[in-house]
Amino acid sequence: MRKLLAGLALAALAVNCHAQQTIKIGVITDRVGVSKPYSEPATEGVVFGADEINRRGGVLGRKIELLIEDDQSRPDISSALARKLVDQGAVFILSVSLSPATQQQQTVTMEAKTPQMTPMNSADYLTTQLDNPYFWQTGPLGSTQIATLLAHARSKNFKRVALITDNSELGQAIAKAFKGTLEKAGIQIVADEVVARGATTAMPQMQKLRAASPEAMFLAGVLTAENVLIFRAYKELGVKFPIHSSYNLSVPIYETVAKGLIDGITFVDAYDPDKEEVKTFVAAYKKGTGKDPQNLHGYGYDGINLVADAIRRAGSTDKEKIREAMQQTNYAGVMGAKGMKYNFPAGKRAGFDPNGMVVRVYEKDRQGRVLHVGQK
Amino acid sequence: MQDLLELAVSATASGCIYGLIALAYLLMIRPTGIINFAVGEWAMVAAFGGFILLTKYEWPYPLGMAAVVAFMFVVGWATERVAVRPLVEKGAPPLAPILALLGVLVVTREVISVSFPPDPLPVPFPFGIGRLEFGPVGGSYQSFFIIAVTLAVFAGAWLFFEKTLWGKSFEAVALNRRAAALMGINLSRVTALSFAGGAGAAGLAGLLVSPNISAHYLMGVPLAIQGFTALVIGGVGRVEGALLGGLLLAFAEQLTARYAPIPSGYTQGVPLLFLMIFLLVRPTGLLKARA
Repeated sequence: MRKLLAGLALAALAVNCHAQQTIKIGVITDRVGVSKPYSEPATEGVVFGADEINRRGGVLGRKIELLIEDDQSRPDISSALARKLVDQGAVFILSVSLSPATQQQQTVTMEAKTPQMTPMNSADYLTTQLDNPYFWQTGPLGSTQIATLLAHARSKNFKRVALITDNSELGQAIAKAFKGTLEKAGIQIVADEVVARGATTAMPQMQKLRAASPEAMFLAGVLTAENVLIFRAYKELGVKFPIHSSYNLSVPIYETVAKGLIDGITFVDAYDPDKEEVKTFVAAYKKGTGKDPQNLHGYGYDGINLVADAIRRAGSTDKEKIREAMQQTNYAGVMGAKGMKYNFPAGKRAGFDPNGMVVRVYEKDRQGRVLHVGQK
Repeated sequence: MQDLLELAVSATASGCIYGLIALAYLLMIRPTGIINFAVGEWAMVAAFGGFILLTKYEWPYPLGMAAVVAFMFVVGWATERVAVRPLVEKGAPPLAPILALLGVLVVTREVISVSFPPDPLPVPFPFGIGRLEFGPVGGSYQSFFIIAVTLAVFAGAWLFFEKTLWGKSFEAVALNRRAAALMGINLSRVTALSFAGGAGAAGLAGLLVSPNISAHYLMGVPLAIQGFTALVIGGVGRVEGALLGGLLLAFAEQLTARYAPIPSGYTQGVPLLFLMIFLLVRPTGLLKARA
């Protein structure tokens, strides 16, 4: 009996030692809420990236251990989960939920001095509203999206355009960024429409757009079902003005749910399928999981690799050293145009290069070639 | 004028969907007094059923549609047996089954959410994507299909309640449960059938709307709210009230969005405004039950 107890104690000690040897990274995702379509693939990218890092020996000789929590995109739950992760010993938190939830987590990470990063959120306010030196954002900003789209559209010399979005918080935030940039460029917005979540048609909104005779339509919505309603009404009414869309159209699901409706639509993306890093990632992901990755997987993959890179350069899991290393990031990942590197200019914590986005076009119901790169 | 006629077709189709959801509520409220907010989730379940049978396994549309509606009848019947009847038999207060059904709502959504991929899933159109025109009136094939199916369902429901003995027994239970029981009407059977019928109507709404909005796990709650608003407008007294309420709501929504001189975002408040006005001014709805 004594031998058995001693054996159990030794086993428990071994498990404990193993647990101490891992580097704990918290991940706050959304598995059932509104952000699930984005959060889930991004989280799969994080998990794949962590496995790959661990297969190659880990970081500082230690394995990465992911502590994954589901906040349902609810800010109230999100901050409690951030606290839980800090208490569990996470040295870094990756936020792949909705922007408002990520913002709420900052109230904890700022106080607990725990590094936190979102590799995919695009709301511009995340690094400007709170002066949190422990927070970074590496997803392309909403303002970068519209600036890139506009740079592409500049050659068309638009004077009158229409804007349409949905009533989600993110859809509204992106529409606001679109509107500001369009007005700054001296382009008149002749119709500004909203399709509500849960609508069964976008016919009235599209009729108003048709009556306003814009030269082009800018789509800022992020809800897939409502965007499909917009395309359906566009097709049914037989309108011809070109559609320029936010990054939401970069999610490949449109190839199936909007089949026959999307040819010719241009959209901004942070993913260039011809980039070497992308080709390597796609091949590795396919080999590792048997599935084709989306661009959203790339956000998560880059996220965990950026964290690992910072810890490596910090040479320690000390949170303050990781913070300093993170701010000095200079890393080429999967996302972004060819040659783009993530880095944080002095005083800034948004690390996606403003010239790192591309504009692509749907061709034969498939995401097609890159038409334009950057804001020039 | 062309805009108005196009919008009339679109609003009628949307109103039919709201009307079917309102009918689902009504079928259960009339004999039992129970408001079942899980009807939206039932519509969602049927939409996913459409994805599995019609998209994944490519069943012929009529067969797939019949199978999904039949499955929904079973879902409604099973829900009554599992979540409602035990509470009623134990003499639980009237609020208990309503709360239990809210639980069903949450469980259903979470099960679908974790069982399917996160993105909206496509459900095919029975007649493809195209536009049908009758003189100046034009609309999509699907709009006309939704209108035709809904009118057939409401005609069937009206005939059932007005012309059949079974329908009369439902009405008798709605008027006075105890007296109906004393007259030999099987209350348990009427309750189970009302839930089965409600699930069938809600499922049909989900299946009809899903080619337009795709099958996704968040589609249920907006449909439940729109259907409930339609029910409040039309009244719970008569079957045709559900359709009338649905049509009025959809026309109000779409005409406001198209013609009202207010920012587009504010038009989302129209259903809520309707709901409040009717609850305050005419809580019995437009159509009252026959004496």
